[in-house]
Amino acid sequence: MKSGKVSRYIVTLIFLFILWVLLTTTLAWEELTTGFIFSAIIAIFGYNYFTKRGLSGITLKGIFYFLLYIPVFFWEMIKANFDVAYRVVHPKMPIKPGIVQIKTTLKSDIAKLILGNSITLTPGTLTIEIAEDNLLIHWINVKTKDIHGATDIIGKRFEKYLKVIFK
Amino acid sequence: MRTRKIISIIILLILAGGFILTFSQIPFGKDKINVAHYYISKGIEETGAVNIVTSVVLNYRGFDTLGEVTVLFIAAIGLGAVLFTEKRVQKHASKSKDDKTKKASLILRTGSNLLFPLILLFGAYIFVHGHLTPGGGFQGGAVIASGFLLMYLAFPKQSINKKSLSVVESLSGLIFVGIGLFGLIFSGYFLSNFLPKGIPNTLFSAGIIPIIYIAVGFKVGFELTSVIDDLLGRGK
Repeated sequence: MKSGKVSRYIVTLIFLFILWVLLTTTLAWEELTTGFIFSAIIAIFGYNYFTKRGLSGITLKGIFYFLLYIPVFFWEMIKANFDVAYRVVHPKMPIKPGIVQIKTTLKSDIAKLILGNSITLTPGTLTIEIAEDNLLIHWINVKTKDIHGATDIIGKRFEKYLKVIFK
Repeated sequence: MRTRKIISIIILLILAGGFILTFSQIPFGKDKINVAHYYISKGIEETGAVNIVTSVVLNYRGFDTLGEVTVLFIAAIGLGAVLFTEKRVQKHASKSKDDKTKKASLILRTGSNLLFPLILLFGAYIFVHGHLTPGGGFQGGAVIASGFLLMYLAFPKQSINKKSLSVVESLSGLIFVGIGLFGLIFSGYFLSNFLPKGIPNTLFSAGIIPIIYIAVGFKVGFELTSVIDDLLGRGK
């Protein structure tokens, strides 16, 4: 599973350097040199934690699907926002809270992390715990208690993108 | 009881009257303090730092900051000393407790692994830009320590090498004092800004200020990390 040190180091360096450029929002040579030096130093200590796959984890297709995932996620979030707002404003307050279990086919830890956080960030659903390939979800309006049904409604909309990104 | 209440009310009234008399003498919104006025009008020109707070903290009052760093250092050592003696007594108790600590959840573990280098870089960004943006060595150091704290929460059984921590910490303290001594050699007084000031608002400006803030950042970050380590009772 773990790939070579050099490849993992390079990936960490690239991500740190991108973060530096985003933070400084300038391309002045002093900033870039300083940023590169600090990224290089921090990557020495951080690469072991930051990535397991290294360069092999980054594919053009993955980047494309990640860029696609951002609008998809925001659209799901906006929809869920309106749904929860409707339930709050409605005089009868049509909620049916409960905890359901869903399954995921994702293998990598980071993919599960992003899936769990995406589910948490969409209002109405909240990831309580991830254990192996099971997720415990608190749901504001439990439509089905069935594992497969709940997986289809909550998890599948994100999972199909994440599966490609973290192949 | 009643007389006591009455007396306290009278005392409070006297105090309030005193405060009102004092504060009514102070004109608000006017330059009362000459020093502050001087810092604002001459600060950038004299120190090269756009952030006036930084120019005061590290240039006009650099010696004071050295004292503050020392205070933190002594506090960390004192904490270590206190906890070290207590741990010897409770050795057995803490051992059985360690076995009970559960593994942190996958979300916390993966998230900390992913964020740890990014948090370190963010801390570095804050202390490198101390002379340009709000922030500086103390804030950046605190951010770095928070990254280590996150790792401690996610992996309660792991421990970092305290020796290398204290080596980096002492080195950065030495750099601070060393730069101060260089100032004494080159331009006559301790911590004087002997390096070229550069163009304000660029990264390589303000002479010694960024270098000192980098040293302070490392020092504060690793010092707070060793404080966290001591508090978790895993120091050696």
